[in-house]
Amino acid sequence: MARRGVPPWSRRRFLQASGIGAAALVAAACGGNTGRGGGAAGTLTQWYHQYGEDGVEEAVKRYAAAYDKAEVSVQWTPGNYDTKLLSALQGSAPPDVFEYQTKADLVRAGQLEPLDDIIKDVKDDFSAASLASHTFEGSVYGIPQAVDTQVLVYRKSLLDDAGLEPPKTFEALVDAAEALTKGDRKGLFLGNNGGADVLGPVPLFSAGLGYVTDDHKVGFDDPAAAKAFGGLHTLFESDALLLGAPTDWSDPSALLQELTAMQWTGLWALPQIEAEFGDDFGVLPWPKLTDDGAASVPVGAFGAMVYAKGEQADAARDFVKWLWIDKTDYQEDFNLGYGFHIPPRTTIAAKADKLSSGPAADVVGFVEELGRPSTPPEWTPAMDSAYKDALSNIIKSGKKPETELKTAAETVQRELDKLFG
Amino acid sequence: MLLDRPAWAFWLFAGPFVIGLGVFSYIPILWSVYLSFFEARNTVAPTEFVGLRNYAQMLTSPAFLDSLLTFTLFALFIVPTTFACSLALALLVNQARWAQPLLRSVYFLPAACSYVVAALIWKLSIFNGVRFGLANTVLGWFGGDTVAWLSVTDPPWYWLVLVTLRLWLQVGFYMLIFLAGLQRIPKVLYEAAYVDGARKGWTTLRHITLPQLRTTSAAVLLLNLVAAYQAFDEFYNVLGSDGAYPPYARPPLVFLYYTALGSGQDFGRGTAGAVILALLIAIVTLIQGRLLGFGRDRT
Amino acid sequence: MSTSDANPARRAARGTGTAAQRSAEHRRRRTRTLAAGVVLYIVLVAVAAVFLLPYYLIARNGLSTPAEITSPEWTLFPAALQWGNIAELFTGAGSQMATGLRNSAVVAVLQTGGQLLVCSLAGYALARIPYRHADAVFYAIVATLMIPAAVTFVPTFVMVSSLGWVSSLRGLVVPMLFSGFTAFLFRQFFLNFPRELEDAARVDGLGYWGTYWRVVVPNSLQFFAAIGLITFIGSWNAFLWPLVIAQDSQAWTVQIVLSTYLTAQTIELQELFAAAMVSVAPLVLVFLFFQRYIVQGVTETGIKG
Repeated sequence: MARRGVPPWSRRRFLQASGIGAAALVAAACGGNTGRGGGAAGTLTQWYHQYGEDGVEEAVKRYAAAYDKAEVSVQWTPGNYDTKLLSALQGSAPPDVFEYQTKADLVRAGQLEPLDDIIKDVKDDFSAASLASHTFEGSVYGIPQAVDTQVLVYRKSLLDDAGLEPPKTFEALVDAAEALTKGDRKGLFLGNNGGADVLGPVPLFSAGLGYVTDDHKVGFDDPAAAKAFGGLHTLFESDALLLGAPTDWSDPSALLQELTAMQWTGLWALPQIEAEFGDDFGVLPWPKLTDDGAASVPVGAFGAMVYAKGEQADAARDFVKWLWIDKTDYQEDFNLGYGFHIPPRTTIAAKADKLSSGPAADVVGFVEELGRPSTPPEWTPAMDSAYKDALSNIIKSGKKPETELKTAAETVQRELDKLFG
Repeated sequence: MLLDRPAWAFWLFAGPFVIGLGVFSYIPILWSVYLSFFEARNTVAPTEFVGLRNYAQMLTSPAFLDSLLTFTLFALFIVPTTFACSLALALLVNQARWAQPLLRSVYFLPAACSYVVAALIWKLSIFNGVRFGLANTVLGWFGGDTVAWLSVTDPPWYWLVLVTLRLWLQVGFYMLIFLAGLQRIPKVLYEAAYVDGARKGWTTLRHITLPQLRTTSAAVLLLNLVAAYQAFDEFYNVLGSDGAYPPYARPPLVFLYYTALGSGQDFGRGTAGAVILALLIAIVTLIQGRLLGFGRDRT
Repeated sequence: MSTSDANPARRAARGTGTAAQRSAEHRRRRTRTLAAGVVLYIVLVAVAAVFLLPYYLIARNGLSTPAEITSPEWTLFPAALQWGNIAELFTGAGSQMATGLRNSAVVAVLQTGGQLLVCSLAGYALARIPYRHADAVFYAIVATLMIPAAVTFVPTFVMVSSLGWVSSLRGLVVPMLFSGFTAFLFRQFFLNFPRELEDAARVDGLGYWGTYWRVVVPNSLQFFAAIGLITFIGSWNAFLWPLVIAQDSQAWTVQIVLSTYLTAQTIELQELFAAAMVSVAPLVLVFLFFQRYIVQGVTETGIKG
């Protein structure tokens, strides 16, 4: 189905890069059946999920065709990319090179080729958060391709009319949402689940916490976390939050149709918002909850990875180095030529006109200053689903935050112990 | 000729079916039972035997138990409601002297619609949470506020969405079955009753119509229950979004889907759950068959 | 509830009193009957309107502009029908709709044909061919009826994926051919098939195979049509199995295409409804043209099942 400007799958990419759809990969299924993907011998297969922007598919195929050391066949994958990828890695036809996020259990299963040697010379050029999301126990397993993030977008004129400052604390955000609610227009939109699905670790960051501590313990079994989510439940119950919109947080429609005055959404939505409102909008990071916490900016980045058990892992590694380390013009084209991403390499990002002024420049600043990986590599799907269930129970159903978080913490700790025990 | 020997002919006719049933029903079930005793994350050829651990984890998992409870409540509600609505509609249509075929076609037409399409209409057009949803438009005419039907959990309006959707899709189908049953009841039974002084309406309904519909009713109940067991399509499409599903109103098949085939890729627990569910359903089917005497005189 | 004056036996039984009384009684009853009839039709038409409402919504939204759909004032019908919404489905970049429709058609036809063939043969064998292990086979089939196929989708996926059939036409069609329920229905049907016809064929020297194809099948076409249509509808509308097995977008059926865009939540409302309209149109046509067989199919499945 054709779509307008905004990349519909950017949000999907972000979610995957931030662990909602993340999945543990794959101990080699079916014994010897780790056969090569589609192509003839000597051909490398490379997988992408479907980017919504026009031209990306052609671009990545063009890059691949320009590589002269091997034939590279690109597979473009609409729909549920993780299920597809996981299934393929399970035995039927694994790709040699694919974009994904670094996951601890994937590493543990020996699926991912360490890429330290190809990145070592330019490591300092990559933004800290994008690199952190692909580093596990000191090794880098994915070369960051593009950085995506989420921000709070607000209508300047509406805030001015109400005599409000852009909210810098969670309390101020709640007050602003209430003050901006008028008639059919609500104050704030956090997605149709009141933020229970999209916010992920963001409320934890705002309280100075995280998913997992450095010594592999649960990071959110804490009164401050309970307070953060309790606050979101209060917001959910109030009249100020938009719920049940036909499009979700990732799509700016709710803002464009004036169903809401502020919305939590992705970087990719900014061009469409700008086209509609000109300079009548601004961006903010998620405001801090407590003085221990900080305004939070979740960063997700898909990385280029090499399937370690493939027969052509070495050739695949050479290709990844060529495309995602050496060919900086392609990296620039990929990030800035079609959609709206921040190039993970700071030297490329610095050159980008698109990102040098207005709200886009603000976002780049947030990412540099405050960006944290939205999911660390050790955050597995089983942990994520336990955590998300707890959030939904607290925010939407009003169950007691302390007990819900404790239940989730048990599952998460069990998974952590399995990884690190 | 060889093929005229019954044994050969039998396998010529039934062989393909029996092989297919073996490969796609029996072997998968046995394989699943095997898998359910192993740690089988991301693999269907596991090596780590874990005994009953997967079963223990499933049976103590609040999420799985909740899904069984959800399904039970859903079935307890939807089965009698569908039954009553389709029977009532059949009784009404049966009275219609004029345009009966047309009416019947109209009521049956929803059966042409898939659950996916129905979910789309219900989620985006009737019960979306903003001002241009049909339900909210109607509420607006009466001065009501907009309701976020699918977002709020208290009150659980999402059940209204799911139940009306399923009723719309199913009632016409079961109405047809009841109608066929009604039209098979011999007219003389009613005539004899009138001769005995019975009045139209409740009395004949209770003493003639309903008893005569016994077999049909049993069939409708069973089909209905089987359909409820398989609840997946509309739940997935109405409440799911982008690879995630909220922890409420999550029926067992949806839970198993996300555990085994979604981001979880956990075939050990997934197959353990499938085995538990299959056993439960087999037991319920047997009990129901016993209670309703269904299938006793069938073969 | 309705007219009863067509019942002479009853009138005669209660026909005491004078002629005038009888006539007054008669008139009263007529009025009551008429009133009841009016009420009945009001109810029936109201229910019919509710049943048609969702189809109206599909058409209205599918042929509207986005602004008309999201307008706070309910627009009863679009000012100008936007047929372009439908064209866009097939011409738009990255559109899966054409592929989806084609896959659905191929899958539904193959599944219907295959299931009719395999299950009818098995049903006939069970009904008519004397064989000492036939009972065992029959019970093996009946046992599978106790567990709905949907419940075993995880096991079946495991099987099919290890055959390497994920995202293939085979994977979509073949596992769905062996329906115990359909085989069971055919068995019941063939049990009631007139034996004389078969006996005559045998006298003419036909074996089981010849009898089946030359006599039994040609005389059962209506039943085949009924079961075939029900299978076709079920296959066209199927969701869970295609969702599990058709992971590559090239293998998506139309239901998966719709669901992907529905749950992806970046939505072009008018296009989504136009897509729904296109997906449901073939079945509405099938319903209009083959209603008789479908009704028979439904009642067969319902009552014999």
